[in-house]
Amino acid sequence: MTPREPAVGTRESATGAIYDLGYRGYDGPRLGRPAAVATLFWASLRAAFGLKRSGRAKIVPWGLAALLVAPAGVSVAVAALAPGAPQPFTYDDYLWGLRILLAIFVAAQAPELVSSDQRYRVLSLYFSHALQRSDYALAKLGALAAAAFGMALAPMLVLFIGRVLLAADVVKAFGDELENLPQVIAAPLIYAIPMATLSLAIAAFTPRRAYATGAIIAVFIVGAAIGGILGDAISSGPLGNLSQLLNPVVPIDGTRNWLVGNSIPDSPVSRTGFPLYVFGLEWLAIVLVGGTAVLWRYRRLAA
Amino acid sequence: MPLIEARALTKRYGPHVTALDVLTLDVEPGIIGLVGANGAGKSTFLKILLGLLAPTSGSASVMGLDVTREGPQIRQFVGYLPEHDCLPPDVTATDFVTHMGRMSGLPATAARERTAEVLRHVGLYEERYRPIGGYSTGMKQRVKLAQALVHDPKLLLLDEPTNGLDPSGRDEMLDLVKRTGTEFGIATVVASHLLGEIERVCTFLLAIDNGKLLRAAPIASFTERTGTLGVEVEDGADALAASLIARGLLAQVEGRTVLVDAPDERPYDLVRDAIDELGLSLIRLEHRRHRLEDLFRGDGQAVPDAVEVTHDAA
Repeated sequence: MTPREPAVGTRESATGAIYDLGYRGYDGPRLGRPAAVATLFWASLRAAFGLKRSGRAKIVPWGLAALLVAPAGVSVAVAALAPGAPQPFTYDDYLWGLRILLAIFVAAQAPELVSSDQRYRVLSLYFSHALQRSDYALAKLGALAAAAFGMALAPMLVLFIGRVLLAADVVKAFGDELENLPQVIAAPLIYAIPMATLSLAIAAFTPRRAYATGAIIAVFIVGAAIGGILGDAISSGPLGNLSQLLNPVVPIDGTRNWLVGNSIPDSPVSRTGFPLYVFGLEWLAIVLVGGTAVLWRYRRLAA
Repeated sequence: MPLIEARALTKRYGPHVTALDVLTLDVEPGIIGLVGANGAGKSTFLKILLGLLAPTSGSASVMGLDVTREGPQIRQFVGYLPEHDCLPPDVTATDFVTHMGRMSGLPATAARERTAEVLRHVGLYEERYRPIGGYSTGMKQRVKLAQALVHDPKLLLLDEPTNGLDPSGRDEMLDLVKRTGTEFGIATVVASHLLGEIERVCTFLLAIDNGKLLRAAPIASFTERTGTLGVEVEDGADALAASLIARGLLAQVEGRTVLVDAPDERPYDLVRDAIDELGLSLIRLEHRRHRLEDLFRGDGQAVPDAVEVTHDAA
């Protein structure tokens, strides 16, 4: 196109020269689509924690983070003050016990990431920049999954560090605990990915934040309630066991049991008696269907 | 290579609505006015150029890049100001424009520097550190222009940039658009349904109606003198016309106005003499120009030679 020279003019005055730089073009690098996707990912990750937003936007994510980490802190404190006392939490049951907080986190923050872009029509600006619609969807999915992963990982790391530092022989304890590291990292991933996908698949379909949050909570809580009621009513029959699969968190628990760590006695997963790969398959189905729904939605959304 | 090229570009929404109807045109760099009534297909055309909408048939290219296949590459060099609101309320102007600069592929430092520059250019100072939700319409419109400029685009697409602004806000926005196009040399397409605005800032005009190209020409050719005198008198237009014809001029009556063919200066004196002789009260004597409004006169049908039609009537 037409080259432009920066219009630089100077005006002399008693105190010196005033430089009128005028408009300057930009001849530096243009990093294109990969940079745009990375920018969107990081900006969305920050938004999930309310960073660069008002104080009000920080209450929910940081409040939930505190609630999620607090029991791990208590657990470590108990171990420090009363060595030998039974630990209230283990790697196996920590996320199982606190997954409802993770569900509330994705329910609150998935709409933060996608609903307002639709409501305020920022989406047409994103789509008129150097990325594709699918890039937008995947960047948002990745950011929410990463945020949920961070929320779940933090307490697991607190448990891990606590157990290492409180041992009599820190070096030996670190070696011993390293065996648990795969679980410390994998279990949060197993929880974060389907929860983020499912909640984003719901949030992408409405520009209203409140509706989206309500719908996501409903899926997790109503799903759990239906599973619980049917499980009690039909009890122990094969139908009662199958009804447990309606509860979206049960396949997540089951997949964790399948891939890392030990099973939790008397949990819905162990009561069904299903082989654990069944839960793994449902986990995969949730991720694939949810991810496809998000991509489909953004392909046909008018900009 | 033209800046914008459209070949038999067609966009239909459903079976009944045709937004663009086999549109073929070439656009060279400059400040181009895209004018048409609401629903004429202006926004659809811009969105197709951005790759936001897929054409039903036909093809278009921007800077030699195909809009359906090379959207991201095109959008890296294009700034877009949508006609509707598009700003998140809970972010500051600085953060938002920087973010959009990085979305266009600018490195972080460059995005920050250019944000400061374009916000100053559009006239946003202290307010830039406050959330956009508290801005007036005029300030929001400036932020929209700033985000379209932050990555130093080669082409600016502005969809109704004066939407919702008061008269002084309109003037300022039009000045900004004109300065951006002339001083910075950024090729600009301004879509508007207000012909007066287009006339003020643009050098070239594309008129579309019902998705068809009505006319494409430099703005000067739309507003040049027609060589017609309009003589408005209180009454006695018929008598005046007869008297002028008797003096060897071509004249015809249109209401209270007599239209006189004036290829040179001679008719002015003759008109003065005729009015004096008949003792008429002269209300107005004007040199007629083609007005952009003439394009849309009549039944709104696509008339490629609309200007000629007006000429015949004169």
